[in-house]
Amino acid sequence: MRAVAEAAGGLRVLIVSTDPAHSLGDVFATTLTSTPRRLRPSLDAVELDAPRAFARWLRDHRRPLGEILEHGTWLDREDVDALLDLSVPGVDELMGILEIDRLARGERRAREARQENQALRVLRPSRSYDVIIVDTAPTGHTLRLLSAPETVAAVAGVLGDLQQEHRLIREQLARIGRPEAADRLIAVLADQARETAARLRDVQQTAFVWVTLPEELSRAETGDGIAALERAGITVRDIVVNRVLPDGGSCPTCDRRRADERNVIASIRRRFARGRTIHTVPAAIKEPRGIGALASLARSGAKGLGLRANDTTKPFRASARPAAIRQRPSALRPQPFSGASLLFFGGKGGVGKTTVAATVALRLARADRHRRVLLLSTDPAHSLADLFRSEVGDAARPLPGGPANLAVRELDAAHALEMRRTQFEDALDEIAAAIGVEGASAAIGTSELMRLAPPGIDELFGVLGVVDARADYDVIVVDTAPTGHALRLLEMPQAAREWMQVLLRVLLKYRSLVRPGQLAAELVELSRSIRELIALLRDPETTRFIAVTRAAELPRRETARLLGRLRRLHLAVPAIVVNALTLAPGRCVRCRAVSAAEKRELASLRKACSRRCAIIQTPLSAPPPRGAAALNRWSKSWIEP
Amino acid sequence: MFILDSLLIGSLRFVLDKVIAAAETEAEDDSALREQLLEAQMRLELGEISEEQFAAIERDVLIAIREIKGRQQGPISMSPDDKITGVDIQSYADEDQ
Repeated sequence: MRAVAEAAGGLRVLIVSTDPAHSLGDVFATTLTSTPRRLRPSLDAVELDAPRAFARWLRDHRRPLGEILEHGTWLDREDVDALLDLSVPGVDELMGILEIDRLARGERRAREARQENQALRVLRPSRSYDVIIVDTAPTGHTLRLLSAPETVAAVAGVLGDLQQEHRLIREQLARIGRPEAADRLIAVLADQARETAARLRDVQQTAFVWVTLPEELSRAETGDGIAALERAGITVRDIVVNRVLPDGGSCPTCDRRRADERNVIASIRRRFARGRTIHTVPAAIKEPRGIGALASLARSGAKGLGLRANDTTKPFRASARPAAIRQRPSALRPQPFSGASLLFFGGKGGVGKTTVAATVALRLARADRHRRVLLLSTDPAHSLADLFRSEVGDAARPLPGGPANLAVRELDAAHALEMRRTQFEDALDEIAAAIGVEGASAAIGTSELMRLAPPGIDELFGVLGVVDARADYDVIVVDTAPTGHALRLLEMPQAAREWMQVLLRVLLKYRSLVRPGQLAAELVELSRSIRELIALLRDPETTRFIAVTRAAELPRRETARLLGRLRRLHLAVPAIVVNALTLAPGRCVRCRAVSAAEKRELASLRKACSRRCAIIQTPLSAPPPRGAAALNRWSKSWIEP
Repeated sequence: MFILDSLLIGSLRFVLDKVIAAAETEAEDDSALREQLLEAQMRLELGEISEEQFAAIERDVLIAIREIKGRQQGPISMSPDDKITGVDIQSYADEDQ
């Protein structure tokens, strides 16, 4: 909407989606690719394809990169090629930040920049564009995206160390002072990382707009996210609260929702309004889709942006009781969940994955007190602690007031990396010794790479967390990050195994020079565990993916694509949970219209779901359920086939 | 010349380290066998050998390790510090009577 408004205002605008699960094309009701497509005379849009962008970057820089690795190690061309052909965890964030830079490069005149989370706007100078608006992945991975320049800088530092000896020989012995392609690549990477990091923190060039929902869990995530951004030196000046129920006729359900939303918005305002503008966007019965709808929304609101800035809604307490939802007692057919040892819950950001995953974990633990259940969140923007109103950390722990056989863990990849630091440094020493760069191992170990939580780390530790937990739990319920990164998590075992295979080959090849030691033994063990995990993931009896969605067009379209990707990964999807439905519309005009629209979406979801998968409907609850007891009550009103 | 020296000395030290490592390997048959087993595990993970081939290697290596352990422990013997503190004799013939 902002992009359309800016373009209408005469600026040349490029809108870029960096979320691996793109929705930008859906929003504009068109097909977008990694090449900018002109939507209006002054508006272009692009959905980044990070793996392809990385392949292109590698094609352009393969020779100097290979030379650095050959000069700095005793790896030969064959080893180097095998390394360079590996898929890189976190490629979405690394390439995202480089691609934004590439698209924006070559500017002539400086203008302001602005960025939005889930609608990040980089108004930045460009030869072709006045403004670049970046629609990022949901919270957790946006934080990783923003730390990507530091990761690139750290990689440039390690490459520089590897090149150092070769550079010295050239300069001191061969008296060649002219930098070669490898030196130029290192310098370009370091410069690019430094410039991008500086630009992200420059309020004249970049602005960050935080987009959230009027719900308690989203408010808590907003607090965590803004705090993390500010720690990184990035300023958030605008907060957009999206999908706010507009004023309307009295209705018990709507009244309770409005009361709850107003309390959340008031809380957001109390906590975040100082120095920031809070905007609200009204919920539409049908989500706006296409340039016309977006332009109309943009025209309808304040400041020409369709946003109501700092409206004066006061906290509100509804007197009406909630409508007694006509509860069709849930048949509680356990088929989609029972018997599985690994249950993944995934879907678009904000659809209620965490609430649904936690409800099912509680249900499984209660159904059999001898079954040890772990509820594991792998989303770097965790919500479990907020959902349960209880402290949850990186170590699995029982839930106060919950079943004793249920443990909860919020994976903290940075903490896990720190905990394994010694182990990783030892491994790095062994790898460095095996490839002949003993001097560089210290540089890698002490470099920023070990301090930063580099992109991809959440997925790597997510997989390790599942591998470790298998010995202690009968069922692991994984609350994943939103779609794009849930898929990355599921692809990670294969990628990790390929990395381990290349390392094992290198260790074997140079075993006469360096005897395989502890690292080789650990790699063999880990490779075996991951091989088992890959087999487990493909077994529909043990592993299932439950797609969580809302009955609205954008989540439904994303769910359909997710199902296709899961099929290609050979993962069983026995159920789609359609969350927060208006099941008892009563006489309220708005509720009836919403319910009718949801029914149309449900019919489309049924088609996408096919006969093998069940549709589970859950009712909208105002306020949304929080705490084990409320989740348990809510679970009883689910409609299951 | 400092760089040339450090390169030469580094290389010489590397070669000497390898010679020492090789000599140690000769002396410690057991560790060489363990390495052989680890190498077979690595090859199995890489798909270079089959489960059957790995099982055969594992069997041979374990037999060889047992032989070395047996040789290292030798026949049971007493040192001058050992003392016999008692003898417990039970006769099954007595119980039968």
